[in-house]
Amino acid sequence: MPPSTDLLQGTLDLLILQTLALEPMHGWGVAQRIEQVSKNVLQIGQGSLYPALHRLEYKGWIKSDWGSSENNRRAKFYSLTATGRRRLEAELETWERLSSAIGLVLSRVPEATA
Amino acid sequence: MIGEFLTRLRFLFSLRKHGDLADELRFHVEQSTAANIAAGMTAEDARRRALIEFGGMERTREQTFEQRPGWWLGTVAQDLRYALRGFRRNPVFTITVIATLALGIGATTAVFSVVDRILFRSLPYAHDDRLVSFGLVQPLEKQEFTLGGFFFDWQDNQKPFQAVTYEAGSSECNLTEADPVHLHCSQVAQNFLPTLGVSPIAGRNFVPEEDHPNAPKVALISDGLWLSRYNRDPGVVNKTVMIDDHAVRIVGVLPMDFEMPRLQQADVLFPAQVDRAAQNKQNSGIGQPLWAYARLRPGVSVKEAKAEMEPLFLHTQQWIPAEIRKGFQLQVRTIRDRQMQEAYTVAWVLLGAVFAVLLIACANVAGLFSARGAARERELAVRSALGASRGRLIRQTLTEAFLLSAGGAALGCVLAEILLRAFVAIAPTGVPFLADARLDLRIVLFAALVTILCAALFGILPALEKPRATALAGRQSRSGANARLRRVLVAMQIAVSVVLLSGASLLVKSFWNLERQSLGMQTSGVIMVHVPLNREHYPTGFLDFYLRAESAFSRLPGVTAVGLGDSVPPDANSWHDATRYSELVVVGRPPTPPGVGGTVVTRIVTPGYFRALQIPIIEGPGFTEAERKSNGKFMILSKQLASRLFPEGNAIGQHIERPEFNPYFVHGPVYTVVGVAGDVKNAGLTGEDDPELYQLGNDSPDTWGRHHEFLLATSLPVSIVAPWIRSQVAQLDPMAPVQIDTLSQTISKLADRPRFETALLGFFALCGLAMSVIGLYGVIAFLAAQRTQEIGVRMALGATRINILRLIAGEGLRLIAVGGIVGLGAALILARLLKSLLYNVGPHDPEIYAVAVLLLALVALAATLIPARAAMRVEPVEALRYE
Repeated sequence: MPPSTDLLQGTLDLLILQTLALEPMHGWGVAQRIEQVSKNVLQIGQGSLYPALHRLEYKGWIKSDWGSSENNRRAKFYSLTATGRRRLEAELETWERLSSAIGLVLSRVPEATA
Repeated sequence: MIGEFLTRLRFLFSLRKHGDLADELRFHVEQSTAANIAAGMTAEDARRRALIEFGGMERTREQTFEQRPGWWLGTVAQDLRYALRGFRRNPVFTITVIATLALGIGATTAVFSVVDRILFRSLPYAHDDRLVSFGLVQPLEKQEFTLGGFFFDWQDNQKPFQAVTYEAGSSECNLTEADPVHLHCSQVAQNFLPTLGVSPIAGRNFVPEEDHPNAPKVALISDGLWLSRYNRDPGVVNKTVMIDDHAVRIVGVLPMDFEMPRLQQADVLFPAQVDRAAQNKQNSGIGQPLWAYARLRPGVSVKEAKAEMEPLFLHTQQWIPAEIRKGFQLQVRTIRDRQMQEAYTVAWVLLGAVFAVLLIACANVAGLFSARGAARERELAVRSALGASRGRLIRQTLTEAFLLSAGGAALGCVLAEILLRAFVAIAPTGVPFLADARLDLRIVLFAALVTILCAALFGILPALEKPRATALAGRQSRSGANARLRRVLVAMQIAVSVVLLSGASLLVKSFWNLERQSLGMQTSGVIMVHVPLNREHYPTGFLDFYLRAESAFSRLPGVTAVGLGDSVPPDANSWHDATRYSELVVVGRPPTPPGVGGTVVTRIVTPGYFRALQIPIIEGPGFTEAERKSNGKFMILSKQLASRLFPEGNAIGQHIERPEFNPYFVHGPVYTVVGVAGDVKNAGLTGEDDPELYQLGNDSPDTWGRHHEFLLATSLPVSIVAPWIRSQVAQLDPMAPVQIDTLSQTISKLADRPRFETALLGFFALCGLAMSVIGLYGVIAFLAAQRTQEIGVRMALGATRINILRLIAGEGLRLIAVGGIVGLGAALILARLLKSLLYNVGPHDPEIYAVAVLLLALVALAATLIPARAAMRVEPVEALRYE
């Protein structure tokens, strides 16, 4: 099993929001999707997934409905609310800024030391 | 933002089923299992694998649940329920803590509310901390005053003050209209109110023209008079009224809270209309007495102001006759200091007592919580093992401390209100502003906070250290550091109690002495009658009235003697005349050097004065009615004065000259000594007696003033005699107000203050004692209970029950001894502060300390022996099984 990368809490929220932006999904689906998309680099422990989902729901960024899963089981589907969508855009913007900034710093360091 | 909040609110109130989350998690595991089966595992392996991947199901559920808004509130409720359950299980602890807190908070709040009014009340003047009273002090008058002869020079040449003003004293006056009223009138400078920062609530202040000599009379009236006489009618301004038969125009009304800086009663303010030019001629050239007040310039302190006034004072000193110059000092102090005087000592002593009680209460609560914490070490270890975080354990302790403090504070509030009413009821009139004392909620809060802090701090200590695994085993459940701390706390409580107890005992003994002392005169069955006559109705003096009233009173049935005096002992707050000892010159002897010998109380009396008060004439014939009608000068000396002036005991028949000041000392009238009278208390109940001389009041018009008092000795109750007296006076002068008091009531009022101090401090001492005994009992009982197992082992090994008793009681005795000794030392040091409150008891009276320590030791011993006896009765077999 590849080593899992620890995720900052805010990052997990961002990943969940981004995943749910595509379509409503149940918890297991969210975890699977993140794993698949990240090519198994990001493994979401259930210990943090469900608290995060509930936290986001309490914040009103996502909402949940009981529905039927692909194999016809009763499952709880999470979907993005309007607030959540706005939030996602803001978070993405912040993330882009942050990661490009980090990228700049990291690519510069060797030059500085050289 | 608001939307988010509303969502949270919705979740807070929507009750979601617990089952939802379980279903969701189960679905997750099933999905994982299905995925694993699809990957080729067997059904069993797939499920096992899915569960392993999932991790702690319960933990996830917990963590998810904690995301819920309001989850925190739920745990608070849980903590509360848990705490209440704990209190129910341990009612002794609960009741002790709440009682201690209630006593501590209640007593502290009540007394602080009282003291606050005395020490820290703000005066009804703008920026009252910048106002000072200044002037001269001298041995005959220890309250600063100034004289017209130099005051205006000071006013013109002073530098430290922004504004200087004065009042020219107060006098009794009558509203001479239909339904006459007896009032108090004060004479003030035109800038008096502006300097104090007071503005009239109706009308205006005086204008400068009204303060000129012989200007038309105008007045400001007090709010009290405005209400009682005119029902707050705004039309009173510009109304003309008759005061002492003069037409006076009212120009304004003073604010409700107005008071004179010297606190004398003032219903009416007049402009003083001081004639500056005449000051060098009036009163043998020294001018009339004035009481000066000033507002400090910004940045100038009282001390600096005094230093800056010193040159003016030195200049004035040259002008005081050399004989008495040395006795004069310059005094500058804040108006507040002038008002408070000895009330400061009382207030500080009470405040000290309050803090002592609060200290004991805190130590007690701390000790109790610490003991409980130690006893619960195992419980905490179990909770911690079951997953309670340290924060949660600390919060639990805080919840308990808070609950108990809230209960204690609530009860304390009730207690404080009751105590406050009791204080006000027994308080003497002499303690200023006590009647206005209100329960101060800030203080309740403060006291509650202090005790909560104590409880929390000492309750948290055991929760702070990570519960040890050994505590779970329950074998070694004593933490030594805490036990030591508790012992220190108990010893400290005992020490503070010793201080309180000895202080209270000193006051009780002092009060006892005060009540039982001989005043040197008869006090019961003596009625004092004061008739403040209207000067305008008696242009030739009051003599005729006094003579006729005297003979009318002496004809009343049941009245055995009628005397008249210009003042009456024991002279606590009332005025009496005084003479310098050095101004009594025995004819034929060189005079005593000036300024030596202190002062002599001087009274003008009639022969009946001695009969009415039953003051014995020890030597000589005393005053006779014949001497009174003659124009001769006669004198009776008190025993103390006679033995000082004539140590050989040959006072009778000697002649004493009283030089007159004009403006330097010249020969004055010569008196013949006709008697020596027994000593009478003449410096209040507590003061050191002064020598006294009685001057015979002749039947001449200028002898008798309006302040003189009749003294009637009667066997009848005052309620019967009073109407007779009134009707007799009304026959002589229907406009004369009559004031009737009994001497015993007046004297009892003088004892009000020591009674008040004694009751309060006694109350504190008992509170403190009760609390420290509770603390001692708690600690000993707790130690004994913790050592039950050890006791069992000792007994099994052959220790006798007496050995056990000694073991447990010894612990208590050590604490009592240490606390007692420390307390005794502190008490001996602190007792000096009480010195000014004590009468006929030294602050280091050994008897008192013996009694205080003995009392405490006895009670403390009982508190030790009860648990020790219980420990002694332990059955060894049971104790060994005890866990």
